[in-house]
Amino acid sequence: MARVLVVDDAAFMRKLLGDALVSGGHEVVGEAGNGAEAVVRYQELRPELTTLDITMPEKDGLSALAEIMAIDPAARVVMCSALGQEGKVLEAVRLGARDFVVKPFQPARVLEAVGKALA
Amino acid sequence: MRLGASTAEAIANVFEMFVPGAVERGEVSVLPDGATPFTNLPLHGVAASVSYVDGVTGANVLVMNPDGARVLAQAMGVPAPDEHTPELSELELSAVGEAANQSLAAAAAAISVVLGQEVEISPPDTRVLDDPDGAAELYGKASHAISTTFVIAGEPCRLIQLVPSAFVVRMARAIDEMAVEPPAGGDAAGAAGAELGAGGAADGGVLSLDDALRDINLRVWAELGRTRLALGQALELPVGAVVDLDRSADAPVDLFVNGLCFGHGHLLVTDDGEWAIRVDALTGPASRHGVTVATPMQ
Repeated sequence: MARVLVVDDAAFMRKLLGDALVSGGHEVVGEAGNGAEAVVRYQELRPELTTLDITMPEKDGLSALAEIMAIDPAARVVMCSALGQEGKVLEAVRLGARDFVVKPFQPARVLEAVGKALA
Repeated sequence: MRLGASTAEAIANVFEMFVPGAVERGEVSVLPDGATPFTNLPLHGVAASVSYVDGVTGANVLVMNPDGARVLAQAMGVPAPDEHTPELSELELSAVGEAANQSLAAAAAAISVVLGQEVEISPPDTRVLDDPDGAAELYGKASHAISTTFVIAGEPCRLIQLVPSAFVVRMARAIDEMAVEPPAGGDAAGAAGAELGAGGAADGGVLSLDDALRDINLRVWAELGRTRLALGQALELPVGAVVDLDRSADAPVDLFVNGLCFGHGHLLVTDDGEWAIRVDALTGPASRHGVTVATPMQ
């Protein structure tokens, strides 16, 4: 069971992800609504796992991922992307993301990705 | 016209994931030059705007009435309010914005395939239209405007696309380049796709979504077999590596049309020395047996 930071610009998606994580026994220790906030919250909270949206205002998920990996090369990050953003997902994996979840998703898929990232 | 239709189809397909079997495609209209697409918008309706920001530019505004927004949000998992309150909650608005975001990402992916270049979208801007007459000023203008109607779970919904001329020109050029040679003596089915960007978006008129899509060129390919590799293995594959697939050499191959498995058949070599498939079975709705499809192999 892990302490998780949930990052998505949509409050609805943060709730959906949070509910899925809590149902799997994880704890949501913080949320962020854009990439810049995600980096700040990561430094503050040092979560065991971060879920990161790709398309966000101010700073997108890929830029935030690069900064988080620079802060903590052992960071465990799972990307959440919309259908059709596979190219960006590959870039995210190259940057250090452990797995990705395609929206719209089932809670079981989120827990599977989180479980793999934590293994 | 066909640009609007194909974008609308990508959006409808994503909405189908949220409200299975409850998405009806309506009409696609190319608005005459100078006409504003932002007329007759519902008071207190919800507008979710997503723009293309890299690769091409253009804006897409999804408009629905408050009841439609609430139905969609609930289908996506937002709990119904305890009592009926006309005002939509922040979570309901966020869900509608997310639906627009996910559906326009799919549309952008389809455009990326045609252009051969990544098309990026902006985060959604979602708002309640307390002053529908101000929408034209809010969302601006473009050379071309396309309006597409849907019915989602019984509630009307409209997609307004603002398409700059540069976008139309690039799409027309890309489709020209990917169009196949038209069959000898036939009408130019291959060249018809070029109308998508050129005349098609500028010629005005109304078509049903189905009719608007009928002469779009699609990518057709055959699949010999599959396998799975870990990303690390794929990245480290050396030249000369042999990758086993999951099918024997004499097994049928799968015929794909734009990513959809459409049938099965056997490989042939034509008189011109090119690969072709003898189609043994079709899984699509308009099944015709004994068809031979010449296709580049993947």
